[in-house]
This record gives sequence, structure tokens and C-alpha cells, in this order.
Amino acid sequence: MSAEGGTEGAILELVGARPMFDESGLTARRYDLRVMPGDCVLIEAREPERASLFADLCSGIVPLADGTARCMGLDWANLGEREACALRGRIGRISSRAPWIDFYGTHLNIMMPQLHHTRRPSTEIEGNALDLCRRFGLPGLPTLPPGRLSDTDLARSACVRAFMGAPSLLLLEDPVTGEPPDLYSTFLREITASRERGTSVVWFSAAPERFRDYRPFASQRFRLMEEGLFSMHDRRGTS
Amino acid sequence: MLEWAVSRGLAGPRRMLALLGAVTRRQTRFSLMLIAASWSVLREAVRPNTWRRTVRYEFRHMLTQAIGGGLYSTLFTAALTGFGIVTQAVYWLGIAGMAQLTGSLMVTVLVREIAPVLVGVILLGRSGMLMLTRVSRLTLGGQMRTLQAQGIDPFITLALPRTLAMMVAGFALGMIFGTTALLAGYAVCRVQGVINGSIWTFFNDVVDAMRPLDYVVVPAKCVLSGFFVGLCACLTGLDATREDDLGTLLPRGFVRGILAVMVVNTVLSVSFSS
Repeated sequence: MSAEGGTEGAILELVGARPMFDESGLTARRYDLRVMPGDCVLIEAREPERASLFADLCSGIVPLADGTARCMGLDWANLGEREACALRGRIGRISSRAPWIDFYGTHLNIMMPQLHHTRRPSTEIEGNALDLCRRFGLPGLPTLPPGRLSDTDLARSACVRAFMGAPSLLLLEDPVTGEPPDLYSTFLREITASRERGTSVVWFSAAPERFRDYRPFASQRFRLMEEGLFSMHDRRGTS
Repeated sequence: MLEWAVSRGLAGPRRMLALLGAVTRRQTRFSLMLIAASWSVLREAVRPNTWRRTVRYEFRHMLTQAIGGGLYSTLFTAALTGFGIVTQAVYWLGIAGMAQLTGSLMVTVLVREIAPVLVGVILLGRSGMLMLTRVSRLTLGGQMRTLQAQGIDPFITLALPRTLAMMVAGFALGMIFGTTALLAGYAVCRVQGVINGSIWTFFNDVVDAMRPLDYVVVPAKCVLSGFFVGLCACLTGLDATREDDLGTLLPRGFVRGILAVMVVNTVLSVSFSS
């Protein structure tokens, strides 16, 4: 799927990317990562905060002291604010850090990135959201504020938001815990379908057992620690 | 050694300069930020690409909240002001035998000076504080970072439409305030028998007393008060740090909002008083 030596066509690429510690909070180590279209990278990160910061690094939010971070071939450092925002609109993200705005209904929270970044008709976006809600086990598009939904429904809603609009890259911070089982299986089915369409997936988890059923299908596995990002296994490299 | 001595010699003045600079920067920081943000709002507002669905939704929502929420407060305050000021003015001018100055006094005191200030205060209390609370909760709760990660610029999506909605609300409530206060004043005077002419005569006196410039300056005061109240509230919320909580942010936002209203009204009054 990807050429080891080439960078052509990589969806996400970090080359010696060293974040500024003062501004990011992420350890100022050099991070290297290349994710090709359709790849799935599993990253074990014991501390959710570190996973969030690393996902921020991949999203071009964290300023770099050295190295480069590219998304879809575009260097975050060379993009203007508007271009960077537009590129982030192509990333589906499940964040473990304050993901919901409580004074909007959950439906608006779910549809907001699509309403903001695209010119698709609102009815089409709503239809897409409704379809995903049903696939992830919600009875419909939840209109209550996020604070009034159960944790499980919020997890389902977070998945819906991330998969909305067929993103090119998915950055998923502990998206599922394994419970309830139907959410877990739907989630695995959806990331498989997305990968077949060419979407790259970076899946962070604090507990490696949550990768359980998907480990054999992953392209690369890493462990994110204070000392940096360490490769644990690379199917392409060993095959 | 010489270098060391020189550097030691400069340490005192340098420290003084650093202290002076730090104090100056701290005191002027928010004002400079406000000027920069005002320019950004105006610049971004004229770009069609800014007005995406999320921004339009936020603008509509805020406009409804600011005008709908502030309407009863404005009507009530305007009626009280009209009752108090118009009645007293007409009564005392009548005693002094200067009843023909009623319109002029109404325009000078009520329409030109009091209405914009009170509308600014109503906007600040009714909508500005709510806006500050919501924006600061997003900043302190980390949701701003989440918006950023989704490629949604919080300034464009939250600060810009809210500031512009407050600006429009300032104009609308200012007009409602002026009209209601004059109507209330006329009604009370009519009931007490101080004024015997029709309401059209009363309004004609008021219109006669207005200078052409008033048709620009009075709406400008209301518009700018709303604009700066909205922007001060948003910037105070966006600028919240980990050391802040609502207990520190609300008084800070209130003081900044009141100062903005006062500065706008004073500057415009002084600039166009002649």
C-alpha cells in the first residue's frame, strides 16, 4: 500500500517533527510517522492528554521547533490560517478532551464541521448524520444538549461526528471501550469500510486490549511515551 | 571584568526599563487587543467566505437573544426614563416659562446622551455577561481547542457574529428606547395637563430640535456601544487563563464593557458637541 522510501501520496507525515514544548506541552522529542491512504496506525498512549497533544501535532495545531508535519502533502507550517482550517476540515476526529459544546444541541455539535467546511445542502448533511446515527445504534439524530446524554450515547455521537463527510484522515482518541459490544463492532466495521475508501486511521488507546480484534489488520503499531513515539510492530516492514 | 562591571552598571536601569515596559504592556494590552480585534472583525465581515452557515446561525441566534432578550428591559427602562426625565423637564421648563425649549432639551438629554448609554448598559447586562460566561466556559473547558482541531476558527465563528449581532441590536434597541421614552414622557405630561398639543406636535418639536448631525451621531453611539460591548465580552472570554474563574472574569468583563460604553459616548459627544 505504501512505499517505504517514498513520501508521495502520504496522508500524514511527520519527519523529525519536534514540537515546541512551551507552547504544546508535548515532550520536545523528534517524531517520525508516515501514514499512507487506507493505513491504520494503532498507537498505545497510556496518558490520554499526551494522545490529544500528539493528535494536535498531526492536525498542525502544535507549532514545531524543528522538522516538518504534512497532511495530504501540505506542510502545516506553510499554510495560512484559512487554508489550515480548511485542511483540518478533512480530518475526522474523536477527542478525549472537552469534545462537546453544551449550549448547542448534540445534532449541531455533530453537523457543525460539515456545515462550516462544506457547501453540501443542509438536508443532505442531516441525512448523512441520521444514517450514521442509526448505524451507530442511536434511534435518531440526538437534539438534546450533550450534557444530558449518557456516556454511551455520547460515544456513539462522537463516532458519528468523526465519520461524517467521508474524511481523508481519522484521528481517534480512545473512540470505544469495548462496551457496548454493538458499538465496538459497528466501529470496526466503519473503519474497515473507510479504509477501503482510502481513509487513513490513527487510533489512540490508553488500553491496548481495546485494539484486540483489529490488531492483525493494523498497518503499524506504536507506543507513545514521554520519550517519544516507538514502533512496536510493522506488518509491511516484516512481511 | 570590564564587561561584567558594565553589565552590572546597566542592570539597574535595565531592570527599571523592564519594569516600566511590563507595567505599560499590562495596562495597554487589552486596549491594543481590542483595537486589533475590531479591525479583524471589520475586515473579516466584508469577506463573503466568512459568512458560512455556522457563522450565520450564530449571528441569527445572538441577534434574537440580544434584541428579544433585551426588549422588555429596554421598554421598561425607557418608560421609567421617559416618565422621570420628560416629566421633570417639561414641568420645570413650564415653571420657568421656557416651555418652547422642551423639544431641544429632550433631544439633548434623552435622545443624544441618555439613550445610547442606557442601551449600552442593558446590552452589557442582559447579553454581554451571558456571552462572556459562555465564551469563557469554552476557553476554560478546552472546547476552543476542540473547535480549532475541527478547523473552526473560534474568532470567526463566535466573536465575529456575536459582535456584529450586538452592534445591530444596539441600533435597534437604541431606536426603541428613544421612541418609548419620548412616548412615555408625552403620555405622562398629557395626563398631568402639562402638554396640551397633539403627539405629532410634540414629536415635531423634538425633530425640530435635532441637528442633521444627530441623525448620524446618535445611531453611531448605539451601534458602536453594541459593537464594543460585544467585542469586550468575547475577548475577555477568549483571553481567560487557567487562573481565572467566573468570579474574576465577570467583574473584569463588566468594567471593560462599561468603560467601552462610556468612552464611545464621551468621545462622540465631545467630538460632535459643536
